Formats: sequence, C-alpha cells, structure tokens
Amino acid sequence: MKKPVLEITGLQTHFFSDDEVVRAVDGVDIRIEEGQTLGLVGESGCGKSVTSLSVMGLLGDTGGKVVAGSVFFKGKDLLRLSDKEMRRLRGHEMSMIFQEPMTSLNPTLRIGEQIAEGIRLHLALDKKKARSRVLETLKAVGIPRAEGIMREYPYQLSGGMRQRVMIAMAMSCEPDLLIADEPTTALDVTIQAQILDLMRKLKEKKETAIMFITHDLGVVADMCDRVVVMYAGQVMEEADARELFANPGHPYTRGLLGSLPKLLSGQKRLGVIPGNVPVFKQVPSGCRFAGRCSYQTEKCLREVPPLLKAGDRHLARCWQTFGLAGVEAGTADKAGLQ
Amino acid sequence: MLKFIVRRLLGMIPILFVVSVLIFSFVRMIPGDPARLAAGPDASYQDIQAVRAKLGLDKPMVTQYLIYVKGLLHGNLGTSLKSGRPVTKVIGSRFMATFWLTVASMAWAFVIGLFIGVLSAVKRNKWQDYAGMFSAVSGISLPAFWLGLMLIQVFSVQLGWLPTGGFASWQSLILPSLTLGSGVAAVIARFTRSSLMEVLKEDYTRTARAKGLPPNVIVWKHALRNALVPVVTMTGLQFGFLLGGSVVVETVFSWPGLGRLLIDSVAFRDYPTIQGEMLLFALEFILINLVVDVLYALLNPQIRLE
Repeated sequence: MKKPVLEITGLQTHFFSDDEVVRAVDGVDIRIEEGQTLGLVGESGCGKSVTSLSVMGLLGDTGGKVVAGSVFFKGKDLLRLSDKEMRRLRGHEMSMIFQEPMTSLNPTLRIGEQIAEGIRLHLALDKKKARSRVLETLKAVGIPRAEGIMREYPYQLSGGMRQRVMIAMAMSCEPDLLIADEPTTALDVTIQAQILDLMRKLKEKKETAIMFITHDLGVVADMCDRVVVMYAGQVMEEADARELFANPGHPYTRGLLGSLPKLLSGQKRLGVIPGNVPVFKQVPSGCRFAGRCSYQTEKCLREVPPLLKAGDRHLARCWQTFGLAGVEAGTADKAGLQ
Repeated sequence: MLKFIVRRLLGMIPILFVVSVLIFSFVRMIPGDPARLAAGPDASYQDIQAVRAKLGLDKPMVTQYLIYVKGLLHGNLGTSLKSGRPVTKVIGSRFMATFWLTVASMAWAFVIGLFIGVLSAVKRNKWQDYAGMFSAVSGISLPAFWLGLMLIQVFSVQLGWLPTGGFASWQSLILPSLTLGSGVAAVIARFTRSSLMEVLKEDYTRTARAKGLPPNVIVWKHALRNALVPVVTMTGLQFGFLLGGSVVVETVFSWPGLGRLLIDSVAFRDYPTIQGEMLLFALEFILINLVVDVLYALLNPQIRLE
C-alpha cells in the first residue's frame, strides 16, 4: 500500500447556531494516497464541502467547528497546527479550487498579481522570478496569450478561462494535495470536458493527489481511482472506482447510479431516490438512509450500521449489503452480520 | 478617461443653467424687500423706490434674469446689496476658510472612520466592534453646537491650548474640524464596517485565504479595495455638504466661512450673494460627483468610464 498523503479519521464538524447543533460531518474517515484521485460523491448538503473546508482550515466564519477527529497531512495533524503553520501549508503544499469561477477571483486585482502573490509568499521568489513562474503555470493550464492575460482583470475572462486561472493558482506551488470542490459544475458541458481533460493531464504530470468533490458520477468514472460516497454527514460506501460501478454495495449508491441516464437502454424515465436528505436536526436514530431505502428492515431503523466489508478494498454502511439483488455473498465482517 | 471628464464638464452647462433659473426665482419668493432693507429703517417711500431702481429690482423678472446671466457669462456675479462689493470678492474671501475647514474635517474623519470601520468589521461582535460602533453612534448623535461648546470649554477656556474661534492659524482649525468631522467619521465607520463585512463573505476572500495569505493582507489588499466603493460615494456627498459651509459650527467658532455668509445674506435678502453662493454649491456638487466617478474607475477596473 502506498503512503497516504491525507488521512482523515473520525472527523466531526458541527455548526452551532443559537440553540441547536448541526452535525454536518459526523465521523468521516477518508484516506488519499500519493498520486491518487479520490472522488467524494453525494447529494447537495451531504457534508462533502464542509469536509474539504475542514481539511483546509477554511471554515472561518461559516459558524462550523471541527469538534473531533484528526486530519493527518504528510504526517502532521492539521487540526493541531497554529494558524500561522496552516497558512504556510495552504496554497503551497495543499491547495483548493472552488465551484464558482465567476466569483472566486478578486475583481480588483490583475490575474498575474493574483497568481504571483502566492508564489512570492510560499516560494520566496523575487518579482521577476515569480513573474516567469506565473507565465509558466498559465501556459501549463492551456491559456493562450498568457502574457496578455496576466495584465487583465477577471471580468475580461470567460468562466472556463477563470477556472483555468484558478487551477493555475492552485497548482502554481506544486502542491501534494489538490482539493477540487465541484470545479466543473458551473461550466458549460464542452468547457467541463476541457477542464477535466486539463486536470487529468496535470495530475499525470505532477502526480498530485486530488480530492475531487462532485455529485456527478460520470465525472467520477472519468477521473477517479477511488470513490467515497457520503450521505447526511457520514461515509456510506468506499471502494475503487471500477469496483463501485460494477458492484455497488449500498442502496444509496445503487440509487445514485440508477438515476444516471443511459444512452442505449431506451428507458423513458430516470430512476429517482424517493424522499429528501434528512434535515440535520432530525437525523434518524438508525441508518440515516433508512427512511428512503427500499431494502429497509426493522434493524435499519434501530441500529446505525458500521462500515462493513463488501468486497475487495470495499466498504459499505449497510446491514443488507449482501442481500442486495445480484450481489454475490462474500466474507462478511463478523461484527456486522448477525 | 480624459474624454469622459471633458464630456462631463460640458454636461455641467445645462445643469448650471437650470440651477441658475431655479435659484433666481426661489430667491425672489422669499418674503421681504431688499430695497427696503438696503435703504434703512427711516427711508421714505421715494428713497426706497430710488434704491430699488438703482439695484435694478424695478425691472421685470425676465429682464433681471437676462442681466444676471449676461453678468455670469462675463464672470460677474453682481454686487452684494449689503456690502456693495462684488459678489465674487465677497464669496472668494469666505471660500478658503470653509474649504480648509472642510479638508481638515474630511481628512481626519476619513482616516479615523476607515480605521474604526475596518477594526469593527474584522473583530465583529468582539469588544473592539462594540467600542467602535459605540463611538460611531455617539459621533452621529452628539449635536455639533454642544460638542463644539464643550471642546471650547475644555481646550480653550480651561486649558487655554487652542483659540476659541476665528481663523488665524492652523491651530484654529483643530476644534472646529473635530466638531464638524465627528459626524462624518461616524458615518464612514458604519459604511466601511457593513461594506467590508459583506466583502469578507465573498468567494474571492475565501480564495485569498486558501492561498495562505496572512489576515492583514487579505483585509487591506483584497477586501478593502472592493469595500471602498460605497464608502467613497458617501464620503463625496459629505464633502459636498461640508463645502457648503456648516452654519452651526461656523457660528459656534466665529468661523469666517460660507455658512455664516449665507445666513447673513438671507437675513438681508442679499439676492446676488445668495444666488452666487447657491450656484457655487451646485458647481461643487457636480465636480465632486465627477471626482467620485473617476475614483470608482480607479477602485474597480470593471467600471469603465464611458
């Protein structure tokens, strides 16, 4: 097994408002190895973004606080670092791309300066060297006439171009970990394909580990080595991408896969998962997905299932994993099956 | 940019024309007869008529206006009814006093207001914020005449450090500019706070944090510039108001400025002086708006002047 770049264990991030606590991330374990691309999948509000912001230390004044767990990044527990130590890592050894390229760049600063300031800060390069480095990164993300773009302001660029600039910014200090929070969701389909293509090339060249947050399983199949499916603040399933698509071990994952359109099947309606994500305030006592699950049993309502082995390097948080239609039984975790 | 400024300056001409018509007619709607006031309390009917004819007030309104405009085009604002001196000279002698008072008040109000606003926004809901907003509310609420008199009482009468009034040296500027600026500083602080708090929630602020920039760079380089646009508008407006002269502060500090001149002129129905001053205020506002627009473009490259 390769060395992990990022190892999240038992992460709990809660949001505190006047008299209630929202447990947005509730005991999440994620491990990303060197050069690996891990897809973090789930519906809106399942805690994907909060997980990534907790890792980056960017919860800021969202009202969220990490209350338990550890986040080891290259051997250091990020949750125990001081603000100053975190700032030295952020944008340098780990960086992030956001969903909204249109609003993620500062409208009053030139593109060149926005990329250069991180380079000057982290790599201690002088103005001239930082400039040539900016030029290099802009070219690497496929921006034509990079020299001119450096002097332009964000409003002069299209969404796709801005996302390329964001990627250039994130990659400029050659990080070991890149967190991409739905980097293509706000873009046109054709531009999406270009950006994904770019990210794939960069990752092959630089061997950067990537945490790829998305709700698009098509993108996952395209990009990721391993997948973590989240639901209501918990990990529901984790497997290698190929295994997950071939052999989904959790009814929720099956539902997600079932709601994808298929080109040749001639189906009239897309599959849907009935119901909504539970409001965090009223998280059920048993399995969090039980209310929407067609395989639900009494046990599901009573006891929270642990992550159970569902195959090779494959875990699923479900009592029924092996009862699912078409799934051959394997060796179950004894603690799990009674 | 230059083209924009020239076009705006040309656009001032019709505005000033309309303003001059309005002022001219409004001034003549004020009850009271300047000829009677100028002739003195003991004047006979004939004397008053003679004065009226001398002042040109016996002619029809339209004729009077045309004479006035003809004078304007030659840079002549008429003659003050009260002092008999040209209005340009009367206003000119008062303008600089008001101008320096305004500049001094705005300068420190902007610096202090901005500082309090930034501090309050960054330390939201902490004691610095409460202290900042408490002083801002005080600055708005304390009436200028009271604050002015208190400052005179303490610093001039009891401590004897600063003059009680008049405009003799830069020391004379301190107390009146503090009095005049406190309200402005308060408004600037509140605007800066709310505007900066909005900007600190923006996605690009998060990007700046994700880059690992230290907090002071994020606030002063990334956020403040974006937050300044509404603050600049408001500061420009305040500047315009203050340039008109503050009647209360100028009275409390016996300041030889435009505010007191206006009150005196209205009391005396000194039509040419009132008209001249009002026209000057209109001009000042237009120019300040132009400056504000240019500042916008400098702050935010997306706003292009066309």
